[in-house]
Amino acid sequence: MSAATEAVAVERRRVAHPNGWWGIAIFCASEAMLFGLLLATYYYLRFRATQWPPPGVPEPKVALPLILTAVLVSSSVPVALAARAARAGRVRVAQVALAVALAAQATYFGLQIHLFLDDLAKFTPQQGAYGSAYYTLVGAHHTHVAVGLLLDAWLLLRLAGGLTTYRVNGLLATAFYWHFVNALAVLVVLTQVSPSL
Amino acid sequence: MAAIDVLPPRARERVDRLERIWAERPGLLGWLTTVDHKRIGLLYFFTSLAFFGAGGVEALLMRTQLAAPNSHLLSPNAYDQAMTMHGITMIFLFVIPMTTGAFGNYLVPLMIGARDMAFPRLNALGFWLFLGSGLFIYSAVFAGIAPDAGWFDYVPLALRRFDPGLNIDFYALGLIFNGVASTLASINFIATIFKLRAPGMSLNRMPLFCFAILAVSFSLVFALPALTLDCVLLELQRRLQFHFFDVGGGGSPLLWQHLFWFFGHPEVYIIVLPAFGIATSIIPTFAKHRMIAFPLVAIAELLVAFIGFGVWAHHMFATGLPLATLVIFAAASMLVVIPSTIQIFAWTATVMMGRPEFRAPLLFIGGFITFFVIGGLSGIMFAAIPFDQATTDTYFVVAHFHFIIFGAAVFPILGGMYYWFPKVTGRMYNEPVAQASFWLSFVGTSLTFFPMHVVGLLGMPRRVYTYDSGLGWDAYNLSETVGAFLLTAGLLLIFGNLVWGRFRGAYAGSDPFFGGTLEWATTSPPPPYNFAVIPKVTSPYPNWDRQDRTEDRPRLEEGVLTLETGHETPASTVIDGALDEIVRMPSESIWPFALALFVALVFVALLFAHYAVAGFLAVAALLAVAAWNAEEPETA
Repeated sequence: MSAATEAVAVERRRVAHPNGWWGIAIFCASEAMLFGLLLATYYYLRFRATQWPPPGVPEPKVALPLILTAVLVSSSVPVALAARAARAGRVRVAQVALAVALAAQATYFGLQIHLFLDDLAKFTPQQGAYGSAYYTLVGAHHTHVAVGLLLDAWLLLRLAGGLTTYRVNGLLATAFYWHFVNALAVLVVLTQVSPSL
Repeated sequence: MAAIDVLPPRARERVDRLERIWAERPGLLGWLTTVDHKRIGLLYFFTSLAFFGAGGVEALLMRTQLAAPNSHLLSPNAYDQAMTMHGITMIFLFVIPMTTGAFGNYLVPLMIGARDMAFPRLNALGFWLFLGSGLFIYSAVFAGIAPDAGWFDYVPLALRRFDPGLNIDFYALGLIFNGVASTLASINFIATIFKLRAPGMSLNRMPLFCFAILAVSFSLVFALPALTLDCVLLELQRRLQFHFFDVGGGGSPLLWQHLFWFFGHPEVYIIVLPAFGIATSIIPTFAKHRMIAFPLVAIAELLVAFIGFGVWAHHMFATGLPLATLVIFAAASMLVVIPSTIQIFAWTATVMMGRPEFRAPLLFIGGFITFFVIGGLSGIMFAAIPFDQATTDTYFVVAHFHFIIFGAAVFPILGGMYYWFPKVTGRMYNEPVAQASFWLSFVGTSLTFFPMHVVGLLGMPRRVYTYDSGLGWDAYNLSETVGAFLLTAGLLLIFGNLVWGRFRGAYAGSDPFFGGTLEWATTSPPPPYNFAVIPKVTSPYPNWDRQDRTEDRPRLEEGVLTLETGHETPASTVIDGALDEIVRMPSESIWPFALALFVALVFVALLFAHYAVAGFLAVAALLAVAAWNAEEPETA
């Protein structure tokens, strides 16, 4: 039995979530707490401030970050497709779907970094609590996206060598991670743009 | 199972095959590459024991200084460093790695009838990261620039303006580092407990020790991010001049405290819950009776961990929070009494209903219950806001929390060392000496910590490096110091007994105490694959089910769940524990060690603010992750 057919057989037989799913789910639970506390920090500092953002700091842009987030969130669809295809043993479909997702996510990341640098030119985290909270929150999210991009790229590389149970589990875990990061993106961007709403 | 030598040929063949499949490299390299949960557990044990020694020396230094008024053995700064390091060491480098890392790692797979942890290489990584973080923090001690703002590290004292050296950077980076290790270990415990239980071990048949480890792991997963975030924000402020904690920049010093205690209070239960788990293992064995109210105790263990997240502000009653907030947190704090009391009654009722045999492990549990009740009673007193505000920052607080985190948390660890010593080494300790060591430690602990209540009520503030005579504190302080040295003697007697037992003790056999859980169903010490045949489980105390255990032999002969074709263990459904799949486990690998090494170097580079170097090392760490991932269990 080849590794690929064995991987499909394992997927068919199994009724509970695999170990890898539990591993990534609990990891994401911990990360969710981290972001929950980051958001709490942001609002804690905000509600103590008289003006948010402080005078001299421009209000955050609204349209572009929201559109970008919509792009990122929609990448959950090809990611889910890739996971489904891999479980069924269709490695080619999985690769294509993952590549499409990677393209969308990389575009998002590139434009966000551009926006980040653009913001830095206008105000700095050293200027006060607003800048500190803003850049820390947004930067933490970008870091999570960057990790996801690395996972995608690595999986594409591994899938080129065919399917194994280990790789299918890896893809399922990565898919879970992306759905989680995309859900976070919504909370982060809404907080980020909230002073302008 | 000393009878393993007289196995019938068919069974013998299977066992031989398992021996070959699960054998690891011998020698030092074998220890660096091991993924065996028992060897990793032993690595955790000896490492955290070494840190316990260091934390103990720091405690003795403080007690020697405080034995008499106006003593100047330690300078004020040296005292601050000793005090801070004592707290950090005992919490992060001793109790957590000892209870989860050593006891949890060694015992959880054995108790649930598995062959290893769910993620064996991650398990190895967790240990190496823990060791790295410990060495990282302790290198500051040898350089004479150890953290010196207390284990709680309050700002503004910890800001660069008031503490310009590397001391606090060692603290913040070291605890972020340590937190990564603990988080990974906790993820592994949860996945292992949910997925790798032997077929038939539904959640309601799972040992209470595993429930405790489950509760601790969930607490760590949800509490550690608060400490990590707090330390990240602190470093951003200290290094890059961000503004989170300074009022001038729009920050707030209370933000540090909120985040810190959001972690810090669950942390208390993280420290003490494994002790509950050890108590629920030792009591049924020596009382020869199943735990009374088994499901209630399991729920209480989880409930303690859950409520622990809603009480953090009771550490901040004197900081000027609004009264409404104080009242809510005071009420929540009193709630903790309910699950704690359920467990105390269940333990005492089990002892009373059974035929207790007061051997050393059970004596230590008796000491634990005594100290837990005393520390618990003073804990309820703190939930009353006026009392808390009157006694905060006095030695009364020190007395309270040492009764909990030394008396209640460490006594079961000591009892557990005796209890599982025969399992780990295959030999017995000396029982009369063990009982003597209990009484010595019990008297020492009481004498050290009880007078602190009195001296606290007399107004002695905590964290002072010395004090004046004539305040009525002298005699109490002297007795505390005498107690500390008695306690040290008791601890040394325990370790001496264990070392003696390791080399000279009588052979123990597989089950010297007639324990009820599965670790007693295999040989002492257990083989690398734990069980030649995955045991059948039909009750919460499977080793007391004689019918099931006699069936193990024919099952081994017939090859039912012997899994002798590869590095494999069964995985089950989460609630019912029905056999779901056979998982292939990875074998030994050097990559966890290599990755931990690179991560440690990243932290060193960050400490010295060489950010580009840190970046290169992070890339090296990523390459190690890739190499690790490329070594798939199917092929390894």
